[in-house]
Amino acid sequence: MFRKRRIIPVVVAAALALAGGDVLAADPVKVGALYPLSGQVAKSGEDTLNGIRLAIEIINKDYPDLKMPFAAGEGLPGLNGALIELVAADHQGSPEIGMAEAERLIVQEKVAALIGAFHSSVAATSSQVAERMGTPYISGESEASTLTERGYRWFFRTTPSSRTQARDFFVFLRDLNKNRDAPIKTIAVVHENTLWGQEFAKSVAGYFKEFSEFQPSIVVGYQQGTSDVTSEVQRLIAAKPDVVFHASYDAEAILFARTYKQFNFNPQGVLAIGAAFGSNAFRDALGPDANYFLVREHWSRDLADRNPLVGQVAKMYRERFGKDMDGTPARAFTAMMVLADAINRAGSTEPEKIRAALAATRMPPEATIMPWEGVQFDETGQNTLTRGIFVQTLDGVPKMVWPAELAVAKLVWPRPVWR
Amino acid sequence: MTGTSRAYPVVALSGLLLLLGVLLALPLYIADRPFELRMAILIFLFAVMGQGWNVLGGFAGQVSIGHGLYFGLGAYTAVLLAVKFGVNPWLGMLAGTALASLCGVLVGIPCFRLRGHYFVIATLVVAESVFQVFTVWEWVGSAVGIELPVKSEGWINFQFHRDKTPYYYIALTMLVVVTAGLWWLRRSRIGFLLRAIRDDEEAVRSLGFSPHLYKSLAMAISAGILGAAGVFHAQYVLFVDPFSVLGLHISVMVALFAILGGTGTLAGPILGAAILVPLSEYSRVHFSGSGRNVDLLIYGFLIMVIAVYRPDGLMGLLRSRPVLTMLDRLGLRSVLLQSPHIKNIRKGNSHAA
Repeated sequence: MFRKRRIIPVVVAAALALAGGDVLAADPVKVGALYPLSGQVAKSGEDTLNGIRLAIEIINKDYPDLKMPFAAGEGLPGLNGALIELVAADHQGSPEIGMAEAERLIVQEKVAALIGAFHSSVAATSSQVAERMGTPYISGESEASTLTERGYRWFFRTTPSSRTQARDFFVFLRDLNKNRDAPIKTIAVVHENTLWGQEFAKSVAGYFKEFSEFQPSIVVGYQQGTSDVTSEVQRLIAAKPDVVFHASYDAEAILFARTYKQFNFNPQGVLAIGAAFGSNAFRDALGPDANYFLVREHWSRDLADRNPLVGQVAKMYRERFGKDMDGTPARAFTAMMVLADAINRAGSTEPEKIRAALAATRMPPEATIMPWEGVQFDETGQNTLTRGIFVQTLDGVPKMVWPAELAVAKLVWPRPVWR
Repeated sequence: MTGTSRAYPVVALSGLLLLLGVLLALPLYIADRPFELRMAILIFLFAVMGQGWNVLGGFAGQVSIGHGLYFGLGAYTAVLLAVKFGVNPWLGMLAGTALASLCGVLVGIPCFRLRGHYFVIATLVVAESVFQVFTVWEWVGSAVGIELPVKSEGWINFQFHRDKTPYYYIALTMLVVVTAGLWWLRRSRIGFLLRAIRDDEEAVRSLGFSPHLYKSLAMAISAGILGAAGVFHAQYVLFVDPFSVLGLHISVMVALFAILGGTGTLAGPILGAAILVPLSEYSRVHFSGSGRNVDLLIYGFLIMVIAVYRPDGLMGLLRSRPVLTMLDRLGLRSVLLQSPHIKNIRKGNSHAA
């Protein structure tokens, strides 16, 4: 088969590769991504995957103006400019399909690492496969606290868990109390009854010991999709909490806000997890009544004021996918960057080396687009340097008001009474 | 008619044995192809579930769209026994089957008083209520779900990690056992009574039989089979949460597979699963990823086509005249289709009308 004439160009190319670096690029590094790309949450799954796509584009192509790792130059320098190849798989939100797809990606597609999986339930089963097969797994947005409590060796998570997110609420209130004569004391929790709301309520309950200056008031759970919350609000009024923590989706957030006004319920502040209390839908529905609600966010475009990288990446995202970036794609983007950084430092696609590199990750805050203090994993694989931000709608525009060093507007507290 | 099908039992039997032989040997060819192996396992699993549904929905004519409940109860029972009390999963399977059966009978007590559409609604409501309870019940893991601890693989632990072939054989065995059991049940006195209940409950009552008793019996068998399937699923996925084992979509899917395959027949649920599972899997692999749900659209469209053109299910295809003639020749008719006895009664009815 091989004739001499054929060999010569190969030798020349090899020599060029040695001399010039990336004339002959190394084999691409395959990364398997598990996301819900059809079914109920297909849109969110696609948006999240787009965050990963953008990260890979920035790594694979040359963006000299972007001041972040791997933007300048093509591919991963630690692997002779190897490009990253994305192999996306659709798990439809099913733990069973997620498990099967993880197996397929590892065995048949031979991916070097997995990233996923939006749903915590799918992350649970698919990371179990990865654990068994010894494949590094990184999650940028699956939040269930239990995921990093299983003692897994191969699972890493850059996003704060729901428990850590709940902690941000207490840190925020403690910070507020520093400058107040009459401290904030009692906290009520209102939560919807699916996984997310339940985890939040449970996590909040667990922090009253560490933050002993606060006292739990009433906890009100409700069925998602309910059309009347009068009795819930009356229970709140009877309990007279200083502040209310909220875990609600769009429709019920609007409903609660309207009912609060109707019954003239005036806590000092309403603090929500998730975007519902600051969403476009919420502001459109409530007009001026949407003001002063506080939302704990993962990410905000306002961060661009301090970190130009945020503005650049958000602009690229908007240009590529015709949609504004939000907290979930931003976190998936960051997880992919952290994974790429680890593979690059490992200088190899060997699973054990990538795992070791992930465990040794030390990413400074300015290298990410997040408001975090960086990325560094503890022994459970959880990123310990995460931080939340609080956004308050002021004059109809959500503004970042906390932490103070990142704030773009001044927090209004306590919220003015209903008019 | 009875004569023609009885004349060729050897052909029928050898046909079935050949099919079984092929299925037994299949893992040799797909063992290194996890996708196909998993699909085969899913087909067997859904076929078992469809068979279970069919006892109540097909034989006895009590259509339930809440059968996911028993699947979930089976799965949860085995997982909870294993996690909280360290019970072996095989014992868990017995317990899951028994508990699902029992719950089925309990649910039946009030629900069997309802007829037609109201029974359907009641099954749905019960299943949905249990789903809601499980999402907030702390002890069973609430909405977070429970992971089964990974143990060393092997038959005793009912866990196989590297090679999934044992799951294939377990699922296949379940299907064969269930199908054989139901084959016997259909020809038994109980089977005839169940079909009589489906056709005219009052007539059965006037003959001195208690329809409620026989419906409860059908429910017990039906729910038990679903429970066993649930345990298998839990051991296979090693994870249960309310959405993935108690969700409404499971109830719908089970009923769908049996109805599209052909209610009341033994081959119907198998056929339904053998066609719909690959359809959904291949459409997911080939058409999803666009975020536009094309795969589910195609899947839904095909279901609509079958429902419009073959409202009696895919088994209805088998009842077209040319196919019937061929089946008679092969002696497969009585194996695949409803028993000739019932067929004759129905014909008589339609003539009268």
